Amino acid sequence: MSSCHYLMIRVFQCEDTLTGIMTGVYDAWDSRIGHKNVRLETACNKTMELFCEYVWTEPDIEKAEKVIRTVKSRLGEEAFDMIAYAAACVHDKKADAIYRMIVLGLHLPDGTLISSMLTQPDVRLVFELRRRAWHMAHQYTGFVRFRELENGVLLSEIDAEADVLSLIAPHFADRLPMENWIIYDRRRGKAAVHSRGRGYFLLEEVDGESFLKLQSSGEEAGFEALWRSFHKVIAVEARVNRKLQMSVLPKKFRAFMNEFSETKTSAQGKNL
Amino acid sequence: MEYRIEQEMDLQKKLEVLADAAKYDVACTSSGVDRKNDGEGLGNCTAPGICHSFSADGRCISLLKILFTNECIYDCRYCMNRRSNDIPRASFTPQEICDLTVGFYRRNYIEGLFLSSGIIRSPDFTMELLYQTLRKLRHEYQFQGYIHVKAIPGAAPELVERTGYLADRMSVNLELPTAEGLQMLAPQKKRSGMLAPIQQVQQMRNQNKKELTVYRHAPRFVPAGQSTQMIIGATRENDFQIMKVAEHMYKKYELKRVFYSAFIRVNDDSLLPALPGGPPLLREHRLYQADWLLRYYGFETEELLSEDRPDFNVFLDPKCDWALRHLEQFPVEVMRADYYTLLRVPGIGYRSAGRIVKARRLGSLDYSSLKKMGVVLKRAVYFITCGGKQMYPVKLQEDYILRNILDGKEKLPSGVKQEPAYEQLSLFDDPRFSV
Repeated sequence: MSSCHYLMIRVFQCEDTLTGIMTGVYDAWDSRIGHKNVRLETACNKTMELFCEYVWTEPDIEKAEKVIRTVKSRLGEEAFDMIAYAAACVHDKKADAIYRMIVLGLHLPDGTLISSMLTQPDVRLVFELRRRAWHMAHQYTGFVRFRELENGVLLSEIDAEADVLSLIAPHFADRLPMENWIIYDRRRGKAAVHSRGRGYFLLEEVDGESFLKLQSSGEEAGFEALWRSFHKVIAVEARVNRKLQMSVLPKKFRAFMNEFSETKTSAQGKNL
Repeated sequence: MEYRIEQEMDLQKKLEVLADAAKYDVACTSSGVDRKNDGEGLGNCTAPGICHSFSADGRCISLLKILFTNECIYDCRYCMNRRSNDIPRASFTPQEICDLTVGFYRRNYIEGLFLSSGIIRSPDFTMELLYQTLRKLRHEYQFQGYIHVKAIPGAAPELVERTGYLADRMSVNLELPTAEGLQMLAPQKKRSGMLAPIQQVQQMRNQNKKELTVYRHAPRFVPAGQSTQMIIGATRENDFQIMKVAEHMYKKYELKRVFYSAFIRVNDDSLLPALPGGPPLLREHRLYQADWLLRYYGFETEELLSEDRPDFNVFLDPKCDWALRHLEQFPVEVMRADYYTLLRVPGIGYRSAGRIVKARRLGSLDYSSLKKMGVVLKRAVYFITCGGKQMYPVKLQEDYILRNILDGKEKLPSGVKQEPAYEQLSLFDDPRFSV
């Protein structure tokens, strides 16, 4: 096997989560076959290449913790922040870019400089992905819509391209500490669940059907109607600009925002 | 003849009337204050602010923007709620506003409350109502989200003070850029009366900052600062006058924002201009661009405009326009120029300038990395060199740059219909053919 190190690139396939990628970084480094002979990939990459041997790395919290600790102490919180946000994005080169960035940073005399080293393509990619994920998370902090269930629980459903759930949950935990709420990520089957006064946790492999069908509380329809009419009248007719509205609030977000569910609005209009 | 008899409105109808009456107020930002929840209340604030939706006009909806009442003792000619208009009038109660705010906030519809009001009975009476509403919301409902409230000119200073301790941002609208304009369209309002609460809030904020350095947990007074708003295009002021007023407000009164609102003719009044082309949105856009240049880019009004050139160029943004008139300061070498010089290059914003300054310490830059850092090369390319080289050979000539920038590659803002002046083509000296 040792003879093929120079020919073959060993590809570490890792799970598409921060833990998965950090484990991949650990294993790739630990393989000791030289940084240029290894590559990291998230499992979403389907096409296999010639002259590569593929190794599946099982996500391992202990290994990931070790890498995270090293990153935080040697490259700084800023760099870790970049990596954590970038890992939430969908991009086929992200795992490898994160690996290269960590390798480069650990070779610098002062690792904390890595986060501003935008002349390096890998750092730049991580930086760019961080920006993208941050932006999307920021959008979702505004566009999430809660619906009050009969038991007072606030329920929200999202369908985000990037894995923003872990990025937005702390925001809502701080904002609504005295509420019971759930944010359900339909695409990943994950949910953030918060219980009144006791913080939140993330659940995986959640079956949304079980709770999405639950009845709304009695007040809910009233507030939705109020919000819809507010949303309508607040626009200035002389300035209407649908194109601008579309570019700042694309349709992908609108599916879960009740002010855009047209059918109900027209029904309301008739009643008035 | 039909008579309309005032009927008791339900909450839905009230909200429609009072949100409709508030929509011409531009400020809907929820930025400027970072506050965590104390663990028991409802809400928090984040410094950049959060947009929760966008209305059909493309403006962000961040706050529940409503008037307390649209009854008003004043008769300002530009205003929908003027006394002499025959429109449905309504008033909320503090309880209703609290219910709406909390109900919307829990469902994450809004970031907080924007509370303005017509003047009912007297400024003091109105201010007292606003104060009561805020007090109820903050103390009974433990609401810790964002609150923007109007300071009513003419209200007693102690009322403004009490309200300021409950609000995040306060604002007084200047309405019109100059006192003469105000005299003409809103004769009951006085400029000095508007500046008084602004000055009071400014002084109290500064005092409060000192208190906070001594007692960290002292109550905070208007932590997100003050803002104001001017109507653009209702009176004859030129851009130079408007920018001078804005600059004055920033420097003298330490305002956080000045908003510009393109005039919309809601009342048929002989003293108001007719606007066949719709509201002057492009002018408003240029003013905002210049406003950012003042606040973030170290420009002064005199650099952008002068008595002789009192209005902005509709074809070019103010920064590009400035650069074209100061070509002697270009090209700028990206690897060496200081931060403030970089800020003045069209196509480089304050974020990308910051990134450049950081990144070039650790390695040399090239054009592709500049692009990745957020520099808009199609603008910047005429004004920079990187490592001593231009991206491709361009001439540093006003005419040449202007024509290339406007050469159809760039989308002009809506509102510009007229083509730039045509010129007779010549085989030999057209700049586009002589690269």
